[in-house]
Amino acid sequence: MKIRVAAVGDVHLGEDIRGRYRRRLDGIEERADVLLIAGDLTRHGTPEEGRVVADEFRDLPVPVVAVLGNHDYQSDAEDEIVALLRDAGIRVLQDDSTIIECGDARLGVVGGKGFGGGFAGKCASEFGEPQMKAFVRHTREIAELWHKALKSLDTDHKVVLSHYSPVKETLAGEPLEIYPFLGSYLLAEAVDAEGADLFIHGHAHAGVEKGVTPGGVRVRNVALPVLSKAYAVYCLGGEDPEPC
Amino acid sequence: MSHEAPHHVVSHYDAPHYVAARVQRALAADERTYELGIRVDIRGDQLFLRGQVESVERRLLVATVAGETAPGLKVHNEVTVVEVRDPGEEETL
Ligand SMILES: [Fe+2]
Ligand SMILES: [Fe+2]
Repeated sequence: MKIRVAAVGDVHLGEDIRGRYRRRLDGIEERADVLLIAGDLTRHGTPEEGRVVADEFRDLPVPVVAVLGNHDYQSDAEDEIVALLRDAGIRVLQDDSTIIECGDARLGVVGGKGFGGGFAGKCASEFGEPQMKAFVRHTREIAELWHKALKSLDTDHKVVLSHYSPVKETLAGEPLEIYPFLGSYLLAEAVDAEGADLFIHGHAHAGVEKGVTPGGVRVRNVALPVLSKAYAVYCLGGEDPEPC
Repeated sequence: MSHEAPHHVVSHYDAPHYVAARVQRALAADERTYELGIRVDIRGDQLFLRGQVESVERRLLVATVAGETAPGLKVHNEVTVVEVRDPGEEETL
């Protein structure tokens, strides 16, 4: 039971590039069963840009699931952006899950924007000033919600969709000093506890596409500048002899 | 002194290290750019910008904001526009 997952992040749309991405989505139904968008949909996070995103991804022949990124929070209009996307038929995950039926196969997608903090042994901890505690607590609470959402999913395949990275590997090429703002190992730990077929993220424009969590879950950084193509396609259930 | 200037206007006598940091901050915070991933390097009176943006217009704005923040430096805009090719081959996991 194979499922083909198309994924892209960091499209950073705005009025100035309206319509340019849409034409790249022609024929997506021949290549993939679902499209996942890994945050940073906009540049400034304004409702106007949210409308451009909604128009760019509405009425596609495959289901579309998205999470927000840090840029989509810049204008404090994230709730309005989420509402605009949902009105356009796009499923937006906010630390919860959704199930996509695809022929006989069922795909569970869990996720949200995620957050930073750094990676095991070299990370921030919930200690000291309230601002520092709040920073790390935010990531920990997200990780706990994802863990729960994954646990309650009973689907053939499970994919985690995030903006921030769970591992360092896919950040290679980014300055080491900013790693704590690019992701957190807490996200990987939560996913490894339940297992998943794939972890999709964006945010690290200068990173690389491929990595793996300590527990062996494949990680793919699909930030548009990393992919240099409209979207990547990952075929889950590869051991199935039926072609994808 | 200009009160309209969106950022600190600096002279090129400032330590290059801080000027580069200021330009980088301006690129992230100026509403014309909001670009977080641009590398800024200063060598003498030359300012180099590197990274990727989504359109030609955004590429030009990056140089504009950098030039305003560091007047007196010659801006070399080595920023490129993200290339978006067709989806290509799938990966089987
Ligand atoms: Fe981004
Ligand atoms: Fe981001």
